Amino acid sequence: MTTLWDTTGSEVVKALAAERRAAGALAFGLALTLVAVVDEKNVSEAEGAATLAASAHPCRLLIVVRRQIDAPHPRLDAEVSIGGRLGPGEAVVMRMSGRLALHAESVVLPLLAPDAPVVTWWHDEPPTRIAYDPLGVFADRRVTDVTAAADPLAALHQRATDFVPGDTDLAWTRLTPWRTLLAAAFDQLGDRPDTVVVQAGPANPSAQLFAGWLRNRLGVPVTVEESGRRPDITGVVVHLGGEQLAITRTDARSATISRSGFPDRVLPLAARGLGDLLAEELRRIDDDDVFAEALGTWSDLPDLGTRPPHREHVWHDPMNISTTVAGGPVSVPAGAPSAAADSGAPPVTLPGAPDAGSAGPSGAAPGLGSATGLGATRPTGATREHEADGR
Amino acid sequence: MAPTVSTNPLRDPRDRRLPRLPDASALVVFGATGDLARKKLIPAVYDLANRGLLPPGFVLLGFARRDWSDDDFAQFARESAEKGARTPFREEVWDRLASSVRFVQGAFDDDAAFDRLVSTLEELESSHGIAGNAAFYLSVPPSAFPVVLKQMQRTNLAAKGASGWRRVVIEKPFGHDIASARELNALVDDVFTPSGVYRIDHYLGKETVQNLFALRFANTLFEPIWNSQFVDSVQITMAEDVGIGTRAGFYDETGAARDVLQNHLLQLLALTAMEEPVSFSAETIRTEKIKVLRAVSLPDDLDRYAVRGQYEQGWLAGERVAGYLDEKDIPADSHTETYAAVRFGIETRRWAGVPFYLRTGKRLPRRVTEIAIVFKKAPHLPFDQTDTAELGNNQLVIRVQPDEGVTLKFGSKVPGSAMEVRDVAMDFLFGEAFTEALPEAYERLILDVLLGDATLFPNNAEVEESWRIIDPLEEHWASTTPHRYRAGSWGPAAADDMLGADGRRWRRP
Ligand SMILES: NC(=O)c1ccc[n+]([C@@H]2O[C@H](COP(=O)([O-])OP(=O)(O)OC[C@H]3O[C@@H](n4cnc5c(N)ncnc54)[C@H](OP(=O)(O)O)[C@@H]3O)[C@@H](O)[C@H]2O)c1
Repeated sequence: MTTLWDTTGSEVVKALAAERRAAGALAFGLALTLVAVVDEKNVSEAEGAATLAASAHPCRLLIVVRRQIDAPHPRLDAEVSIGGRLGPGEAVVMRMSGRLALHAESVVLPLLAPDAPVVTWWHDEPPTRIAYDPLGVFADRRVTDVTAAADPLAALHQRATDFVPGDTDLAWTRLTPWRTLLAAAFDQLGDRPDTVVVQAGPANPSAQLFAGWLRNRLGVPVTVEESGRRPDITGVVVHLGGEQLAITRTDARSATISRSGFPDRVLPLAARGLGDLLAEELRRIDDDDVFAEALGTWSDLPDLGTRPPHREHVWHDPMNISTTVAGGPVSVPAGAPSAAADSGAPPVTLPGAPDAGSAGPSGAAPGLGSATGLGATRPTGATREHEADGR
Repeated sequence: MAPTVSTNPLRDPRDRRLPRLPDASALVVFGATGDLARKKLIPAVYDLANRGLLPPGFVLLGFARRDWSDDDFAQFARESAEKGARTPFREEVWDRLASSVRFVQGAFDDDAAFDRLVSTLEELESSHGIAGNAAFYLSVPPSAFPVVLKQMQRTNLAAKGASGWRRVVIEKPFGHDIASARELNALVDDVFTPSGVYRIDHYLGKETVQNLFALRFANTLFEPIWNSQFVDSVQITMAEDVGIGTRAGFYDETGAARDVLQNHLLQLLALTAMEEPVSFSAETIRTEKIKVLRAVSLPDDLDRYAVRGQYEQGWLAGERVAGYLDEKDIPADSHTETYAAVRFGIETRRWAGVPFYLRTGKRLPRRVTEIAIVFKKAPHLPFDQTDTAELGNNQLVIRVQPDEGVTLKFGSKVPGSAMEVRDVAMDFLFGEAFTEALPEAYERLILDVLLGDATLFPNNAEVEESWRIIDPLEEHWASTTPHRYRAGSWGPAAADDMLGADGRRWRRP
């Protein structure tokens, strides 16, 4: 392991090359680079998850911590290791402060594994627009987690507004075991159901995606009922003629499938840790069309999956935040591939979320800035203002 | 794929997050208390459950002689899973599975026991909703095959046309020559439809072997040179460091050629040499495999090109080990081979003139299975001869086990002021690019049986064709004595001479 204090990007590149040589000229079968963007206070949690995911899908792991953007001097500290505390592969943890934090890509770009796909994962609140974060712009796959936002449903809606193919969200990943069980139960079902009810705690984005997915696949009414007890999904009930098929979480590790006329069956339904979720994301790195459809159906924004997959970096300086926030709630800048921000449309009601009527993108805006302050917005409309950052 | 799956509105081929789950069904294991069940089958079932790949209504039903209750068998299964599973043992996964474990006690010739089995399966229809779906795994001594199959016929267990599917899984050996294989096939086909029969060749369940398809048919790099114009020869090796263990009786009747060459090695040869299938499905892949097996030829000079060996006492991995004839229960005058090396040809335009050297043996220095494609030397080298003295043939090696991966061996300049070219190896370790806990071969194969996917299972025709290749060898060897080789060496000198006569040498794996 090499630790570099107050260093430069080139020094980090050199240190990584040296570590690789020391590890014994081995040809790593590097399949991808994982860039993890995380807030200082969550570093150890993110490291743990990324390490677990990296041990299932060996990758070069680049952890970027941006802090103290207002520090007077830019500074980079880095830790480079291969086969160390961050799993068997190559890992670099970088802490960037001062204005450098706004140009993290200048350090990260030369560290990407050559010609291998890049996955960027934001551990904390997602950026309002991914185009604001250059670390997301160059990625082939972008993984957010709206549950980390202050208002997860508003954040989920914002993800739909900002969506381009290649985006996914861990709220969707968390749903996989539920979808698996339900799909397996449907294998035995002859007909299409009449209605479906998803039961979950309040403001659970996974439950909303569950509803979106079911509406999209089945074309029947799907409602989300608040079950109150736990924040997570507690069950799903399918009505079919006079029959009923229900999957109910029985405890943290299992669920019961009950169907009229059949004996109950208990099946494992483990709540998965962050590392497992991330590993699932790394398993396939092509676009997730099914997610696009579920998200599109839920948010009423059609054809998300056919949007052009490219993003252009939008320069955006959180230090100027006061000048923008004064202008009112954050809106999506011109040029965004968005329907929600169109022409003063009324706040979009969140389908299937009875208590979320007021949580359109505008209502939620204050909660959407990322914890570093980087995600707060200054609508500029211009795309390339790097030179104007007054460094 | 079962038709129910494709009409399920929640299933979508683009939805790669959702695993394909089999229909609710029972896996009936005959010989559930045996060695194979304990070491491989039960751990594989547990691993499948742990990965969430078993359907809601799954039942594991064991059948054997000992007087056990469901709980006794569940306890045995638990111990087997704890010991043999690849994935971590988790109590809650086990609890769910344990509630679906059943045991039926009885001998194979006991009609009452089979009637109990039938009624147990009927009960499971209502209690687990298995809807008549059942896979029968014959993990029993080959001699018990006929009686088990007869019982299944008598009790209509294999009922074609009944509701749900019925499948049967059989283990090698698939006979001991072409006649016995035909007899066995006829027997099985009489009871089950051919499409309901799954023959296990666990090598085909290995990730690396499946990766051979990807390597050959998903890339542009290799296929253009995959022919006699560029390939000098192919060496396929399966070496074991162990001896015959406790299976003396079986082994002494069988020998290395029938035990390994006839099935595993010929399957690896078929996958290496076959033409591109028109699609990736059981039918099309089998079509190509059978074509290439039909084209396999034996050399005229069998004395030189078909070498058998038998290990003598020697040292292996720092320990003294006994010779084959001194092993327990082996007759002192046994002529059974523990090593076989044969040169095959493939009479097609693609492979004419390229020898395929296949070898297998016990008590060799290490356990390794690999396929080595040895390329021709460059037709012209614009260097001084001394510059390239250390340059060998380019090789592409598929390491089937252990260290699953691919090695590419090619010439490279030795750093320095002189022009000097030497062989270097570039290693790709499968487990490094994707360490996602590689499934065990049996796990994959059991899942495929439950899903009804026959892609990785050889069919009747392939088995019979393989015996067509092996039978003349056995005939030739019947009157000969195997060459001796020391345990812990790479086989008899005659095997080295065989390649030496062709101006080649064995790769040291
Ligand atoms: N073991 C391996 O690693 C391996 C590898 C490749 C292929 N195979 C093949 O797999 C099959 C099983 O091998 P194995 O090693 O597991 O055999 P094994 O250890 O001898 O087990 C035989 C099983 O069959 C049961 N059985 C035998 N005769 C019976 C009868 N008359 N009635 C009822 N049950 C009877 C035994 O149960 P009870 O004694 O409890 O009644 C036991 O569960 C064979 O075809 C073998 O060639 C095995």
